[in-house]
Amino acid sequence: MNWAPIVLTLKLASLTAAILLVIGMPIAYWLTYSRWRWKFLVESVVALPLVLPPTVLGFYVLVAFGPKSPLGQGYQALVGHPLAFTFEGLLFASVLYSLPFAVQPLTSAFGAVDPKLVEASWTLGISRLATFLRVTLPLSIAGVVTGLVLSFAHTMGEFGVVLMVGGNIPGVTRTVSIDIYDEVQALNYAGAAETALVLLIFSFVTLSIVYALNRRMWVVWPTR
Amino acid sequence: MADEMTADFEKRYDGGPTIRAALRLPVGHSHVTVLFGPSGAGKTTVLRCLAGLERPERGRIRFVDEPWVDTDLGVMASPQARGIGYLFQDYALFPHLTVAGNITYAIHGLDREEQHTRLAEMLRLLRLEGLEDRRPAQLSGGQQQRVALARVLARRPRLLLLDEPLSALDAPTREQLRGELRSVLRGQTMPTLCVTHDWVEALTLADDVAVMAGGRILQTGSPDQVFSKPANAEVAAIVGVETVILGRVSGRQDGLAAFDVGGKRLWAVEASGKGEEFYLCIRAEDVTLEIGTRPSSSARNHLAGRVMHVRPAGPVSRVAVDCGFALTALVTRQAAQDLDLQPGTPVTATVKASAIHLIPR
Repeated sequence: MNWAPIVLTLKLASLTAAILLVIGMPIAYWLTYSRWRWKFLVESVVALPLVLPPTVLGFYVLVAFGPKSPLGQGYQALVGHPLAFTFEGLLFASVLYSLPFAVQPLTSAFGAVDPKLVEASWTLGISRLATFLRVTLPLSIAGVVTGLVLSFAHTMGEFGVVLMVGGNIPGVTRTVSIDIYDEVQALNYAGAAETALVLLIFSFVTLSIVYALNRRMWVVWPTR
Repeated sequence: MADEMTADFEKRYDGGPTIRAALRLPVGHSHVTVLFGPSGAGKTTVLRCLAGLERPERGRIRFVDEPWVDTDLGVMASPQARGIGYLFQDYALFPHLTVAGNITYAIHGLDREEQHTRLAEMLRLLRLEGLEDRRPAQLSGGQQQRVALARVLARRPRLLLLDEPLSALDAPTREQLRGELRSVLRGQTMPTLCVTHDWVEALTLADDVAVMAGGRILQTGSPDQVFSKPANAEVAAIVGVETVILGRVSGRQDGLAAFDVGGKRLWAVEASGKGEEFYLCIRAEDVTLEIGTRPSSSARNHLAGRVMHVRPAGPVSRVAVDCGFALTALVTRQAAQDLDLQPGTPVTATVKASAIHLIPR
């Protein structure tokens, strides 16, 4: 049993979910409360990874990492090596790829918080940021958990983007799905089945825990 | 000149009426101004503009020497900066916090001891002791209302804005909380602007009444002035009670209270509530008229007087009678003709003791 790809994938998925939580929140907050007339354009951009073939997304990310793009040049100047075919590059692509899976549940959770509660907090003299942290966020816990789980799970199963951006470097960018694909290509069905089963069980257990927690959370914090 | 808050502004909605409001509120002591009118009159919008939750298109709002809104100068103070207490119609309690958490929500910045003192003070003032650890969902409507009031009072606001404070309650609870709300507001040192469409609530709470309809303030004055002397037919139709007299109890007998008003003795059924000073409210349809004089008994008040004027209003006529005080009666047109009511006609107005609605002050 080859554990390296599994450990690597877990690391990638956890980091992606954590980063998405941090950058997804301000985006979701803005999408919930902004009344800008061109907001739908931003919504479309955020949702793009849902409909775009992973290879297309991966292709553009690869181009963006290249020595001709400002991003690629900047990163190379700063760190000393290019972004493509590194773990950091893979992480960057994963964050982009799973963005809608974090932002969408957050947006709908924020939107479900009664605006009167937010206004009540403002009239009580509490700043917008403190109101978000003390009212909106605690009442959106279910959405936060859902966003975390979905982006984690989505990253776990990522294939096309990894192949385009990360390549297949053992221990660096060789994730579970690539590993399974390789095993099948090599006609090692037993190896592929082992890894696939581990992934299946892990995904099922994670989702079960989250759904069970979520249910209890509603009992502890009735919203209305 | 006494400190005051002045507001004069306009708020427009797409597809709705333009709302104009001009108000003056005395500042620095307890004073309740009731914004009274039917639903859709724009009362809540006025409140939201004062709170900073809506931005008026035109106008000025000043709190003593502090500009809150000045559209000419581009001034728009945030709700946080205004130091107000806003009571929402459905209370907007934080469902994830306990009663204590809700009440101390706005005073987190204070030291622990002060927070405890204020929490205890609020729990006592609003009779919430023992409920500290409950969540809003576990409270009755009346309790939720009191928690919401405690939450806004805990931070000692400079101005209280109440949006239909009792309308979400069932009738018996509303009855009970009305008096309580009055005494709580009397005990404060800040002015209150209270929105309501319930005339009993208006008379119970108000030091001043501003009548609002169709996005405009039609009349402002003391409650008995506004209710008894509506400036025009529109106001009269909105207030609904034609005669409101302020009176002191001068005697009690068999569950009835006697009032000496304008040289006449009026008997009224004292249904509930204690107190010495009351608004006596008489609906015009509860007043009957006849020619000549009759002795008064305690069950029926017979009041001798003279007709001041007769105004036809559809199938009925509104008759104003001077019987030491102005009393309005509603009679059918036919009856007005049969009785030959003219200005100066001597009449006896009859009001049942049970038809006089007493509102404690």
